[in-house]
Amino acid sequence: MTDVALKSLTKSFGLVDVIKGVDLDIKSGEFCVFVGPSGCGKSTLLRIIAGLESATAGEIIIDGRDVSGAEPSERGIAMVFQSYALYPHLSVRDNIGFGLSLAKLPKAEIRTRVEAAAAILQLGPLLDRKPKALSGGQRQRVAIGRAMVRDPKVFLLDEPLSNLDAALRAQMRIELTDLHRRLGATMIYVTHDQVEAMTMADKIVVLNSGRIEQVGTPMELYNHPATPFVAGFIGSPKMNLFEGATAKAEGCTTYGIRPEHITLSRTGGKWQGTARHVEHLGADTIVYLKVEGMGELLARTTEDFPVAHGETLFASPIAGREFRFA
Amino acid sequence: MIRHGLTPRQRNIGIAATLVASVVFILPFVFIFFMAAKTKREAALFLFTWPSEWQLWSNLTEVVVFRDYMLLLAYFNSIIITVGAVTLLVLFGAMVGYILQRRPSGWNKLIYAGVLVGLMVPPAIVPTIWVLQGLGLFKTISGMILIQVAYGLSFAILLFRSFIATIPRDLDEAAIIDGAKPLQIFLRVILPLLRPVTVTLIVVQSIFIFNDFTNPLYYLPGKENVTVQLTLFNFQSQFQSQFNLLFMNILLVTIPPLIVFVFFNRQIVAGMTAGAVKG
Ligand SMILES: Nc1ncnc2c1ncn2[C@@H]1O[C@H](COP(=O)(O)OP(=O)(O)OP(=O)(O)O)[C@@H](O)[C@H]1O
Ligand SMILES: [Mg+2]
Repeated sequence: MTDVALKSLTKSFGLVDVIKGVDLDIKSGEFCVFVGPSGCGKSTLLRIIAGLESATAGEIIIDGRDVSGAEPSERGIAMVFQSYALYPHLSVRDNIGFGLSLAKLPKAEIRTRVEAAAAILQLGPLLDRKPKALSGGQRQRVAIGRAMVRDPKVFLLDEPLSNLDAALRAQMRIELTDLHRRLGATMIYVTHDQVEAMTMADKIVVLNSGRIEQVGTPMELYNHPATPFVAGFIGSPKMNLFEGATAKAEGCTTYGIRPEHITLSRTGGKWQGTARHVEHLGADTIVYLKVEGMGELLARTTEDFPVAHGETLFASPIAGREFRFA
Repeated sequence: MIRHGLTPRQRNIGIAATLVASVVFILPFVFIFFMAAKTKREAALFLFTWPSEWQLWSNLTEVVVFRDYMLLLAYFNSIIITVGAVTLLVLFGAMVGYILQRRPSGWNKLIYAGVLVGLMVPPAIVPTIWVLQGLGLFKTISGMILIQVAYGLSFAILLFRSFIATIPRDLDEAAIIDGAKPLQIFLRVILPLLRPVTVTLIVVQSIFIFNDFTNPLYYLPGKENVTVQLTLFNFQSQFQSQFNLLFMNILLVTIPPLIVFVFFNRQIVAGMTAGAVKG
């Protein structure tokens, strides 16, 4: 069953086309991630779905109903903002219950629903504090709680983790995935971090300057990128992409090979280069090879094959792992 | 090394500043207080001396009952005008400031021009009186309230507008998603966050309006319309030979703004430091 459908959606700000025709189906209960570089229109697309921005043309269908003209509060969505957007003058309890009190629900029901959400998010002891007195991760949870109590069909999250430090971000990734499994609601999640996209998504939508570049599961995008853009965006470290003479020699316009799909050798191989820079990440080592007539080539090795700075090495692609984009 | 306390130089400057401030602000007040407590004969000497005979209470009652309790009527009128005008100023200032800041439209330029004109162009008394007469508001308390609102509104709008600019727009949008209507966003999200600037405006404007002498003099003639500052004017001739009563009157007129200021001063400071909205 489809939960959210976008049909030839476009959006212009004055003369600038920001969204240039987007068609997308998101299934009920799916964790869908919009990913793309800064300024590609991810937030705008999310805000159009939320109803905070009106589309220039196209349809938005949520749960089988065309909501293009509907108020945000009537769309069955809830949104978590990058800045959290908690009401500073209200306690955590009133922040979470704000929407319910606007809907004029009885006090007792608001109380039970707020406390149920707080229990899931481990916010119980913090209910009477003001947002000022919370840590970043706790504010994040309050923002999610405020979305949860509305019992929405679709959660919209705009870079919710980008204000947190690395360790907390990793923890919240897991918590959010757990929460998604527990609630079973559809979630649309915007990020420019491909690691978040790979680790959390059921479905990744790669956006590039207002257009959908490719849609697929994380592994589909990793193994079968449709365009050089997707190939370069998904996976870390970035895929090696070559155009010009190197690509011509391979019979294509763009040739790509991932660093983890290169084998290094001291005796012989396809390309010869010198190790310009070596990055030790612990289990892995990233080698930046300077290859004559080709440019820079990244390769990943393990500690079994120690590389010294300035060493001359041979690199070869693993067969069947190369990408040739026409 | 961390130095605690002040250097001798800093301390001397501090003492000097305190002395100057007390001479400028406190001595006149003490003088008024002494004069208000003296007998008629002693006050006529006009000396800065300790009253030889304390007559504070009898002077007080005499001023209050004077001319059919005119002073009480004046207090009543002044408070009505001040409270009414300040309430409208806060409400309209915040609403107009909010719309100007949040909803850019073609009209904004025109509205800004109006606001700036209101700030810069000095009011012309006689035409204003014509307008008031035309509207049937001349010599009425409500007319006086509207005059004070008109004089203060430009400043209030600009003050609120610049403060609202520091409130993240995400808050409005979060409230929209939560199902708030525009008026609810304003009343339940924006207005509570405007507290620091609202307190400032209330203090500044209420002291100004309560102490206003010229505008009530022009626009609110008539015995039944007297305001506290005008009682001085009205009593002056009668109190010419009774300076103790005149100074008692001055004392009574000065105290309310002083109380407002002392009381709200803490609130202003507390409001300013607690006003951090972001994050
Ligand atoms: N209100 C607006 N008026 C004009 N242009 C806008 C407006 N909002 C966004 N844009 C433009 O639309 C484009 C897409 O913006 P958007 O915020 O959707 O990017 P994004 O993908 O979310 O980027 P980021 O990862 O930096 O958040 C940008 O080029 C931006 O300048
Ligand atoms: Mg964005």
